[in-house]
Formats: sequence, structure tokens, C-alpha cells
Amino acid sequence: MTKLILNRRKFLSTTAAAGATLASPAYLRRAHAQQGGEVNIWTYNDFVPEAFKEQFQDETGIKVNVRLVDDQGKQFSLLAAEAPNPTVDIMTVAGHRFLQFIDSDLLAPLDLDRLTSWGNINPTFSESDWSTINGEKWGAPILSGMEVLAYNSDVVTAEEAQTWDTLFSDQYAGQNAYIIQDMMSIVMLMMGYDGNMVAYLDDPEKAAQIVEEAKNFLIENKPKVRKFYDGGAEFQQMMVNQDIVLGHSWNGPAAALINDGFPLGMTIPQEGSYGFVYTYNIAKNCPNPDNAYTFLNAILGSPEIGAAMTKASGFISTYKDSSQYLTDLEKKSTSFPDEQLANLQFFRSEANEMKYGLVDPAVEAIKAA
Amino acid sequence: MSYDASARAARGTVPASDATFWGRLAGWGPYRAMASFTTASPRRQFIVLAVFPILWVLTQHLGPMVQMLRVSLTDAYPVAPGVEQHLTIEHYLKFFQDPLFWQPFFRTLIFAGVFTFCTLILTYPVAYFLARHVSPKNRMLLLLLLLIPFWVGEIVRTYAIMILLGNTGAVNLVLKWFGLIDRPIPFMYTSFSMGVGIVYLTALYMLLPLYSALEKLPKSLNEAAADLGAGAWTRFRRVTLPLTIEGISSGCTLVFLISTGFYATPVLLGGPSTTVFAETIAGFFHVAGTQWPTGAAFAIIMFLAALCITAAFQRLMTMLRKGDKT
Repeated sequence: MTKLILNRRKFLSTTAAAGATLASPAYLRRAHAQQGGEVNIWTYNDFVPEAFKEQFQDETGIKVNVRLVDDQGKQFSLLAAEAPNPTVDIMTVAGHRFLQFIDSDLLAPLDLDRLTSWGNINPTFSESDWSTINGEKWGAPILSGMEVLAYNSDVVTAEEAQTWDTLFSDQYAGQNAYIIQDMMSIVMLMMGYDGNMVAYLDDPEKAAQIVEEAKNFLIENKPKVRKFYDGGAEFQQMMVNQDIVLGHSWNGPAAALINDGFPLGMTIPQEGSYGFVYTYNIAKNCPNPDNAYTFLNAILGSPEIGAAMTKASGFISTYKDSSQYLTDLEKKSTSFPDEQLANLQFFRSEANEMKYGLVDPAVEAIKAA
Repeated sequence: MSYDASARAARGTVPASDATFWGRLAGWGPYRAMASFTTASPRRQFIVLAVFPILWVLTQHLGPMVQMLRVSLTDAYPVAPGVEQHLTIEHYLKFFQDPLFWQPFFRTLIFAGVFTFCTLILTYPVAYFLARHVSPKNRMLLLLLLLIPFWVGEIVRTYAIMILLGNTGAVNLVLKWFGLIDRPIPFMYTSFSMGVGIVYLTALYMLLPLYSALEKLPKSLNEAAADLGAGAWTRFRRVTLPLTIEGISSGCTLVFLISTGFYATPVLLGGPSTTVFAETIAGFFHVAGTQWPTGAAFAIIMFLAALCITAAFQRLMTMLRKGDKT
């Protein structure tokens, strides 16, 4: 695959998405008069479709300022540094990181009376147990992702990719990559433990012992890994450059490669994996709360917008009926067989303080080893 | 406006409507009073001239460092609303008490030392060639050619190295084309790729001081040494090298200090076994979220260590220079 093909395909898919979005029902025209001002958003690349952004700006007069983020921790630090008067209105927080933000008093609970588009979200996501904390909703689910084993299907077979063990096999030593922090949870799962660590909330010693075990496993296997990476773009680049043939990945960047025609497969291995949901959240004391709600109502307004987000990011839309606006290839790249989905569980936040208190130093130890 | 008109405007003898902006300003009472006050004595002139550079250094250079030092001595930062902040040195102790952090720390210093040496070895011949063998009229053109890659940013040049050294990169393609390899050599994500990147990124900071030192070196000294029977190696060792030691010292100091602080290049080009201290520090700011003071303390430790090593190196260079003179 060449860069040219990548760009051409990307262009075609983006153009199609733009066309679909622009041809979408005039939700904005119905719902909003010109009100002006601006809305400041911190989000991941491709989470605000460009065509939607332009349409929103044209029809509401609200300027959309997007600041790209690539890490939840970094976003937390930025917001904490700006508190109690942040410059941001809307952030993109993963559902399992809510507690950290809420405990630090950085998020405002959503006012569902003002969020008229809330009903457009699939209840699987909007009403799931992680989405309600202290009796309040803290984020509007927009995209769902999961940790998958992605592989170059010209080199690695689908059977080999059914287990995480392949990632650590001698056969593919030096041809694999993963995000250490995410792999810690998966390795715990591989070892038969609860990677969310909720089961050990009352037994911190056991939790420490499990993290130690997972850490030692990754240190032992460190000579076989080609690269500890941080972001989805890095993974895509290593795959395209054939620096790696398999790796742990989020499904979004992997799906984007599949849609670009790269011979890539992805599985939720039999040992299991974790899923997560990205949500749009309103910062506490944000400077433009009215515009933030206008934006949220607009972006949640139609399934075409959800489909456009999926096309651009590769993550699975949380909007009702969005899949009907995807091509067959796009549907294929964002769906998994039922038997694999049965291995999936969502990240949970209840034990985050204990978990990351143990995992963060372990990650540093693995890097340093 | 003519000179006369300006001068008259300055004396206030030209009607304001006839003068230009500068003329009107020069004739404006408060401006004239301020000008006479600030230039009344050499001491005042010095203060006026010094105030802006001092402000610049204080706000742009020392300010962030002082802030980092302050953060490193607090128990929490950013502080959650309603939480009281306390002073502590626990974050500094964390480094000395946990050997976990020593490896990336010393790895960084060793890498920086090795890469500085490699940069010196690679750029000295280039600087020598430019300064001693290229005609003055072509020197600027060649220097310009060497500077062209530096017109783009660090990240772009780092990606250029990735394109060069990747499995499907130019180097592997050429080796394969010549039939020297069957499978690509995994250059990327190793200390080699990181070294190539850092040497490439810092070469200019070594090249320019070396070029400057070599250009100032009179050719007659080498000619005299040759007349006295010194061979090429002896002339280089006894004449050229000692007299360019200042350029070596400046170049090495710059490259070493820059190398210790590199973050993006090791992240993009390095591998699992090349984690440098900047990545460890960034981990506290990015991943851990609530551990900025530890990151700040580690940054101060790295800063002080780099300064101490540089000071020791400078002292060594001074001793070498003095030894050479005696």
C-alpha cells in the first residue's frame, strides 16, 4: 500500500462523509438561531467531523476551537492546572476515567433537560452502570473502543491471533508493539485476574502482588517487543512501514487502516480484553456553557454525524442507527463476532486510585528495566 | 522631512503640522524630558539599556526554572480546590531512594556523552574542510546547503530519519537493491536510530563553533610546523587541535546540554531499551496526572546534573588549554 492510495482513499471517504453530513437533515437550522461566540473543545483527532464543524459554525455563528489531545492523563493535568477557571468548555473523557475528574471537581454534571439529543444515544451506552456516578450523568457517550490484537493478515494467521500469547511468542519477537499501561490490564486478565482490580479493593496486598506479577511478565518479555508506543497514529505508522506485524491496539486506529485497504485483521483474543467509551463532558465553570450545550445537542443530533465520526476515527459510534450510514467494509471493520464480543468487558473506575497507584510505578519500572 | 527640518523639529522650532511623526515626537515635551532624564549620565544610560535584557532573562529564562523549583518543593500541584499546599523535599528523596529511576538517568547522561562525542567526530572534518579547503566565496554557499535541513522543525527532521531507517525506508531499500540483505535490518526503535536522530539534530550546534574556531586559525602556524618537519598528524595533534579547543568546548557543551533534554526524538526513534530520563519526567506530567511535583523535582535534578557535568568539562578544557600554553 502506498501513501498515495492511503491519501486517495482517505480523501474519498472524507468527501463521502462530508457529503452525507452536509446532506443531513437541517437539525441545526431547526434548533438554533444564530447566537455567536465560541466553544472550546479538547478532543482526539477526527472526533469532531470537519464537515459538521463547518456546518455548525455557519448555522449558529459559534466558532468551534478544537485543541487536540492524545492522552487522558495529559488532559487531566491541563484541566487541573487551569481549574477553577478553565479555558475549555467540552472535553473528551474516557468513561473509566470519570472518577479522577469528578473527584478533583473538574467536571460539571450534565443537565439532561438541556441536552435534548440525549435520546439519540444507544441506551447500551447512555444507561450503562459506569455512566452514572453519584446519581448524575457526567458525559455524553460518542464513540466506543476496545483493546484488540491487531495483525498483518499477510503474515499472521487469524488462528494465531486468537490468543494474546502470540504477541509474546518467539516467532514474532521484535515485530510487535504495545502500550504498556494498557497491556498491564490485559496481562492481568491473561493471568486470570481482574484487570480492573475492583475485586481486590479490600485486599491491597493481593492487588500489589498481581501488579508485580504482571510487571515481571512484561519485563521478562521486554526483549521481544519492538516498541512501546503511546498513540494510535504511531501504531498505524509502524504497521504501514512493516516495522511490526502484530500488536496491541485500540480498534479505532486498526479499523482506519483496514478501511484504507491495509491487510490488517483484529481480534478480541480468547483470554479477553477491555472496552471503553469516549464521552463529551462539560468542564466545571466552563466559559461558554450555553454554547457547549448547543454544540452537544448538535453533534448528537443525527446518526449521520455519528457515522462520520466512525468513518474518520475508526471507533464504533454510540449513536442509534448510525451503522446504516456505513459501507460494508466500514461495518466489517467496526464489528466483531459474537463469540469474541463475549470476551469483552468494560474498564471500570471504582478501583482506579489503587490500580493506577500501583500500575504507574510499574510502567516506569518496565520502561527503565 | 529634511535633516534641518528634523533638527528644528527636535528643538521645537518647526510647527507640529510640518513635522513627521518622529519629528513631532522629538519635539514633544514629555518625551524630551524623559530622554534627558534617562541619558543624563552613563550610569542611567546603562540602566536603561540593561533593563529590557534583564527583564527578558528573568521572565523568559529564570522565571520558568524558579516556578519549576517551586512546584518541585510542594506536596501537590496542581492543588485540588480546598486542599492546602505544603512544602516538602520528598520528591527529591524519591529519586535517591528508588534505584528504579537511576537507570534512565544515567542512561541519558551516557547517551548524551556518547552522542556528543560522535557529533564531534563527524562534524570536525566537515568544519575543517569548510574552513580550510573551501574558497571564501564558496564557503557561504556550502554553509547554506548544510543549514537547509535546519529550516524545518525538529519533529519533521525526526520523521525524515524514520523514513530513512524504517523497514521500508531508503537505507533498507538500497541494501536490498544491491542484494546485500534479504530481509530488512531493523534499524528503527534502537539506540542506533535514536543516536542517528540526535546527531543529525544537533550537528549544527557543533559545526558552527568548530567552523568559527578553525576559520580563525592562521594557516601560517601549520606551515611553520610543516617547515619544522611535523607530519600531517603531528600538525593536527600539536597545532590545529589545541588551537580549536575553544570551539570543541563550546560545541560539546551545547550538544551535550541539548541531548540531555531531548524528548520527542527518543520517543519517536528510540525503543524499549532506550528510555531516557526526559521520558520518565514526562511520565509524571502526562500519565500519572497528579504527580507534577515529582516530575518537577526530577527535572531539576537532571538540570543540575547536566550543569555539573558541563562545568567539569569546561574545567577540563581550561586545564588542557593552560597545559598547552605551558
